[in-house]
Amino acid sequence: MQFFLNGLPIGAIYALVALSYSLIYAASGVLNWSQGDMVMLGAYVGFTVFSILKLGFTSALLLAMVAVAFLGVLVQYTILRPLRERKAPPINVVIATLGVAIICRNLALGIWGPDPQILPSPVSSRPFSLAGVSVTPQDILVLSVGITLMLILHFFLKNTREGKALRAVAQDRYAAQLMGIDPERSDAVAFAASAGIGAAAGILVAPIFFVTFNMGASVGLKGFVAAVIGGLGTIPGAIAGGFFLGVVESLAGGLISSGYRDAITFALLIVVLWLKPSGLFLRKNRQKV
Amino acid sequence: MKSIMSSRRGLAAFLLLLTGYLFTPYFVTNLYHLHILNLAGIYTLVVLGLNILSGYTGQVSMGQAGFFAIGTYVSALLMMNWSIPFWSASAMATVMAGLFGAVIGIPAMKLSGPYLVLATVGFGEIVRLVLLNWTPVTKGAAGLVGIPLPTVLGFVVTTEEHFFYLILASLLAGVFIALRIADSKIGRTYRAVREDELAAEAMGVNINRYKISAFIISAMFAGFAGSLFGSFSGVTSPDNFTFDESVGFLCMSVIGGNRSIVGAVIGAFGLTAVSEALRVFQGFRLVIYGGILIFTVIFMPQGIIGLFKRIRGNFSVKETN
Amino acid sequence: MSKSSWKGRFTVLVLLLFIAAGVGAADAAQVLRIGVVGPESGGGAQLGQGQRRAVQMAVEEINEGKLAGEWTLEVFFEDDEGNPTKSASATNKLIQQSRVNVIIGAIHSSCTLADMVVTSRAGIPQITAGSTGASITQQGNKFIFRTAANDFLQADALVKYARDEFGFKKVATFTAADDYGQSGAKLLREACEKYGVELVAEPTYNNGDKDFKPQLLTIKDRGAQAIFMWGLYTEAALIARQAQQLGVDAQLFGASGMAALKLIELGGEAAQGLLLTQTFLPDSDHPKVRAFVDKYREKFNESPIPHAAQAYDTVHIIADAVRRAGSNDPRKLRDAISSTEGLELVTGDPRFNDDGDDIGKRLLITQIKGDKFEMVKFVKAGE
Repeated sequence: MQFFLNGLPIGAIYALVALSYSLIYAASGVLNWSQGDMVMLGAYVGFTVFSILKLGFTSALLLAMVAVAFLGVLVQYTILRPLRERKAPPINVVIATLGVAIICRNLALGIWGPDPQILPSPVSSRPFSLAGVSVTPQDILVLSVGITLMLILHFFLKNTREGKALRAVAQDRYAAQLMGIDPERSDAVAFAASAGIGAAAGILVAPIFFVTFNMGASVGLKGFVAAVIGGLGTIPGAIAGGFFLGVVESLAGGLISSGYRDAITFALLIVVLWLKPSGLFLRKNRQKV
Repeated sequence: MKSIMSSRRGLAAFLLLLTGYLFTPYFVTNLYHLHILNLAGIYTLVVLGLNILSGYTGQVSMGQAGFFAIGTYVSALLMMNWSIPFWSASAMATVMAGLFGAVIGIPAMKLSGPYLVLATVGFGEIVRLVLLNWTPVTKGAAGLVGIPLPTVLGFVVTTEEHFFYLILASLLAGVFIALRIADSKIGRTYRAVREDELAAEAMGVNINRYKISAFIISAMFAGFAGSLFGSFSGVTSPDNFTFDESVGFLCMSVIGGNRSIVGAVIGAFGLTAVSEALRVFQGFRLVIYGGILIFTVIFMPQGIIGLFKRIRGNFSVKETN
Repeated sequence: MSKSSWKGRFTVLVLLLFIAAGVGAADAAQVLRIGVVGPESGGGAQLGQGQRRAVQMAVEEINEGKLAGEWTLEVFFEDDEGNPTKSASATNKLIQQSRVNVIIGAIHSSCTLADMVVTSRAGIPQITAGSTGASITQQGNKFIFRTAANDFLQADALVKYARDEFGFKKVATFTAADDYGQSGAKLLREACEKYGVELVAEPTYNNGDKDFKPQLLTIKDRGAQAIFMWGLYTEAALIARQAQQLGVDAQLFGASGMAALKLIELGGEAAQGLLLTQTFLPDSDHPKVRAFVDKYREKFNESPIPHAAQAYDTVHIIADAVRRAGSNDPRKLRDAISSTEGLELVTGDPRFNDDGDDIGKRLLITQIKGDKFEMVKFVKAGE
């Protein structure tokens, strides 16, 4: 039981990253391999805001989200746009965003150095007992902020003009264009939102797991796995996939084997994909036939 | 897509380059440079396999390092535990890699796009983690040391120069095989599958079988390269076969031109050389490397080969199929 | 012009040429080139960069103070990204292009092993200041030396201390799934057997992992009274924190790989009371240590990690060796290094055995109290 609950806060983080992937994939049909590094940058920006500008946690959170969102738009504008114009195959986008990831990672290494940094948490990390299991206020914070963000996103997509435009573009890019929606703008919005969410995930993660310049690699991969398990491009799928992955990892690591934990997760993933090639929550294959 | 080498001019150019390249160890006395050339040669074999997979059947693999690893470890273990001579060990390792190609090929055939990417990533990681944790067999994190050297007709391949010729010969063999595949019925079917899967299926092609066979062939190339790699390096460990390696192979494939055999050569040699050359920039090395990736992929969408083709296209009206 | 002045000028010219040649030759002969290979990017970047800084500092110090006799040290750095293939290429480059006479490298055991293939083929001595994998010195390779801390002694000392001071009967190990961690795991297992302590769980973790709770819960379930960690400080700090969060009250132990002040900073309250073995204590009063730490802090604005101290000592060993050998010929250098003795350095009094291991390393058991490490016990080799 403890294993199950333990997987939830991590699952929330994975869910946020998965959301970022799905959002971008839905809106622009591409895989942004630098998503994990947005998380990392968010954490670092937050750390800088906190320790150098000496502002509080909330300011750190907001500033980081805005700053990294800017970066997201920059990536969309300078990289995705030219690739689209040249009708480059999707694999090129993967490699381009990979290049972005490498640059982000090594710039971070240069700016902040190789040592892990810690962001003090606004809440304590002392555990208390909840229904017989050990929980910390930090876990609660992560879950609550995470879920809040998901709700905000949901509201945004459903009720705002930009959000609706995004959904239209996701559904049918060409038709949306005919209706007067600028798909490039939606792309930018998607990138900004994804980057912002990623940054938030980074700030949430920083007090618990520290910040290192390298963390983008594994966080990004796990988030991607979560997004795919749930069904790439769907919001509920991403959330479900994230929590699913968090819990499965926790269970596998504790009950089966810690060394093979990731191997088990991946094997499970492959089985899931074999049985349901478009993920757990997508009804049909979203490939345009 | 016909290989550049199918035209008479292309073939002549190739033979000329080859003759020049044969004498490389005499001109390049710097063993470090020779070492890099050898490494690039081995990588080319891996990328050749990748190109057959992605170039021909349009399937992406981000787990090529997994097959590479299987080739290295199986061949090394066979030689070290059972004193099996290099060529037999290598052959068995290649077959083993091919088997695993089928193992991942089967679930993969239903997948495409990001889902396929993920499945292959998962495969690569599973291989690495098994190598890391299955200590009694693979020696786990410590890796294998003292991998035996290959013997060719009684002659032990020891130095960098020896390896140069061995790798070159293997590379030529690999390229030859790839060309035969490209021109054969299998190759033509692959291209049909890539161009229009639905139409090919309508024409009675058993898509799944071809997709799986592409994985198998691609895995075998990587597996054989792996066996060479093991003896070349002398030591190996799971650290050699991380996800970053798979990414590296993919980059070589795409940047060289993933639909072409020559592209594999250009991509592998080019990226290996560039990566080493960037050492002069010390700290900025990887930032520049990332920049190069982005730049190449935006301005040369079909890879470097694509660039050549466009230039050639400006001069001749020769059609590609 | 008269014949005699011609002869005069000619003699002076020849003399000048001789002097120039002599000076030129002397200049060329008195430079020792050191190549350094380490991870300066990627997962082990903190270690590689620490190594680099320490080496740079040592080289400057030695050149300024003429500590290597008439020899000037020149150093070349290459990044291996923690990848064995790249490490071998880097080593190749250093030997072939930078023409180094000795190699310091690498940090990751897998990289060191790969480099050894290159250095032994080229006949260049190689000293690793960071790799602890047992197989490194068991290859029968005459060119490898190790100044990294001795894992066997550490594991032995830790388990013995646990049994003697605490009377623990059930313990667990929690080790990194890399060569360093697994080498430690094996040694800990053997030490437990030797001292009659029961090992109830032996989970592992991957470097870069953030969540250790599943394994900690298993350890807790099995009633371990102590957890022996073997890995680097980032994960150790996280483990300590999460153990506290889960209410696991086992005593934590660690080894020199995680002995850095950063461990205390990152681990916070959870790291208090952690016992670990080290080869050097940043706050020790030993004059050599004080001098090193103060200088490092002043120069780089942070405290040195153990790898830095070991690298620093390694350069001094090399300087001493070249001074004694009187030549930068790799073979003579190798012989001089293997006969090192009488040097009092930051991490001990280096003495190499036949395998190339440094058996003169100082070993301390320390405990985290407040914001520093406090000395608990001094362990002599062979105790």
